[in-house]
Amino acid sequence: MFKKKKLLSIFVSVSLALILSMSLFLAGCNGGGSEPRTDAEMINVTSGVLTIGSDCDYPPFVQMQGDKPVGFEPEILQAIADELGLELEYLPPQNFDTILASVASGTKMDVGASSFTITDERKQLVSFSLPYFDSNQAAVALISTSYTSAMDFDGLTVGAQSGTTGADWVRENLTGSGTTLKEFNQASELMASLAAGDIQAAFFDEPAAAQYVATSYTNCHIVEVIPTGEQYGFAVSKDNPGLLQAINDAMISLKKDGTFDRIFLKYFPDLKPPSLGT
Amino acid sequence: MVAVLSLLVSFMAPPTQAQGLTVKKTTATSNQITGNQIIGGVPTRITWEATVDRNEAVKQITLVFPEGSSLGEHANTKATVLEGTIRLDTKFTSTISNTQTVVVFDELVESDLLIRLEMFYVALPEASGEYTLTGSYIDATGREIKLEESQTISVIAATTVDQITQWMDDQPWVEAWNSVLFLKIFLNPQYLVASVPALFFGWLRSLGLVLVGFPLAIPIGLGISFLRMARFGVIRFFAAIYVNVIRGTPLFLQIYIAFFGLPLLGVSLDSYVLGIIVLAVNSSAYLAEIFRAGIQSIHKGQFEGSASLGMNPVQTMFHVILPQTIRRVIPTATSEFILLYKDTARLAAVGVMEQMMFAKSLVASSGNMTPYIVSAGYYLLVTLPLTKIIAEFEKKLAAAEGSTEAPVKKPKRRLFGIGSIETLIPQKKPDEPLENSRSAKKLRLDEEEGPHDKHD
Repeated sequence: MFKKKKLLSIFVSVSLALILSMSLFLAGCNGGGSEPRTDAEMINVTSGVLTIGSDCDYPPFVQMQGDKPVGFEPEILQAIADELGLELEYLPPQNFDTILASVASGTKMDVGASSFTITDERKQLVSFSLPYFDSNQAAVALISTSYTSAMDFDGLTVGAQSGTTGADWVRENLTGSGTTLKEFNQASELMASLAAGDIQAAFFDEPAAAQYVATSYTNCHIVEVIPTGEQYGFAVSKDNPGLLQAINDAMISLKKDGTFDRIFLKYFPDLKPPSLGT
Repeated sequence: MVAVLSLLVSFMAPPTQAQGLTVKKTTATSNQITGNQIIGGVPTRITWEATVDRNEAVKQITLVFPEGSSLGEHANTKATVLEGTIRLDTKFTSTISNTQTVVVFDELVESDLLIRLEMFYVALPEASGEYTLTGSYIDATGREIKLEESQTISVIAATTVDQITQWMDDQPWVEAWNSVLFLKIFLNPQYLVASVPALFFGWLRSLGLVLVGFPLAIPIGLGISFLRMARFGVIRFFAAIYVNVIRGTPLFLQIYIAFFGLPLLGVSLDSYVLGIIVLAVNSSAYLAEIFRAGIQSIHKGQFEGSASLGMNPVQTMFHVILPQTIRRVIPTATSEFILLYKDTARLAAVGVMEQMMFAKSLVASSGNMTPYIVSAGYYLLVTLPLTKIIAEFEKKLAAAEGSTEAPVKKPKRRLFGIGSIETLIPQKKPDEPLENSRSAKKLRLDEEEGPHDKHD
């Protein structure tokens, strides 16, 4: 009996302490961190720094080079940070499927930038910036196989990165019995598993798929590009409209002065830069 | 294309016009918190795709929902037009109601383009069944042409769990609880309820991994421990390499090598089987050290005594030494079991369907962390009772073996009164290897060195 009481009291005090510290922390966050250049409402996790969460494993959008993320997204974000007078700082690579929840909690990172497709469902959790890239899904398989369309994989074992629109596409479209979806943390693990023959097809965004089959996995090819017309946006906490506005404004001004297109064409010389609504 | 179409049209007792819009697909996304099916009466997202045929252009599309459909909050329709795989900047206006959605394009959508309509937060009828979307479109000349019927969407009636979570959605206390972001994301009542049954099978699969893997590791470990004590240096050398390489590299790395490397060598195994093998091999190295220390802790006099009774070394080992060893190593071996059980979670990274994988995909599809908390509960369901058993066993062992040989009692910290956590807390490592240690106290330290390395 005594033990149970003790257990209960420990639990209660621990949870109280947790909730109290959380609320104090949140209150602290709301107080400070405003930036001179833009709206007073813009909040940063670390004052003066634009903190980014990304899985850093999605070339050509972002990948680690040594301990530094490089690619289209880091360059665009650097330009945005410069525009806002902030330092740009990437957190160490995060798991893709936890980034949006982290953004929503608003305590760890300011921006989630991991080629997030803007969807209405995700908008329930976070806000998105202007779309900065048009993308599609791709079904990737070993060249030695004879599949010709994405629907050929109905009923087979396929893979996707956990939490992605690729995984959603498989769940929604490959509904035949026997379809097994294996979910991976990283796109590179997904491709390794495909090359190892553990899955018959990998479903993920076409630009990253194209990069992988052109460089590291020349024994694989894109079986079909699935036209989904999805668009990427930077994710920002819903409680931080000031930051969202600042990022959108910066993107538009980068678009107007040509910086956005220059960076875009450096990575995607064959594609048309998005209009960003200008 | 045209030929196929005209064939289709002739079959279908066509409306006034030839079909100029080919419906490619109609699907709905799963709206179960856990699971892949579509429940009636709960908002889902319907995706409808069609291509505009040659010599046709589309101004407006009307899609009629099955009777009994309803709308959720934020319901809306988005249209995307693609030329091949290129997204066009097509402007449109859309309206949506309980019965239909109407999309009007600012400019005509020309032939060969793909139109993709996504209807968010539309609830299909509550009764289970196969549903289709009907409707019509308006072409360049203003004619209204009936659409061919879409592919069917299978809808199931809400399961008990779905009903409970829906009921919770409407409760004021749930709403109040979820208004705190931390509670909403980590201890969400709806996800708590939905995750328990959803993770159950993952839990069984994880348990299966360790319940097969660990018994496999015991004979391998015992064999290796004998080799470690072999008379010939060469054998001892190779056994030591086995133990040190496996204990000296992260399990995570071993998993990667096995899963991505072996298939390239032409060894292709079911990932669940391969997972068991990796766990067994990994654990065998730790068990080998536990067994070796256990055997060496038996007093030398017993070997001599057995020899004087006329027993050969093999008989001595199996009839005298091992029975005592087993009793002594049970607590540490059980700790190793607990560690191995927790390590099954690492297999999620390479796509083995186990508990962590189940939790991960729930978290991924919902953006809510609660399934992880439920997952932690499932792990504790196994580890806490085992910890308690170890503590009890140690007590008995101490009583049975008397004062000199017994494990030395340390002041114990109690974990919520449930059991000793001593076996899980890293102990100070001895300064030098205890190859010849016979003291029970030192033995315990030596045994515990192994498992902790794993998590460094």
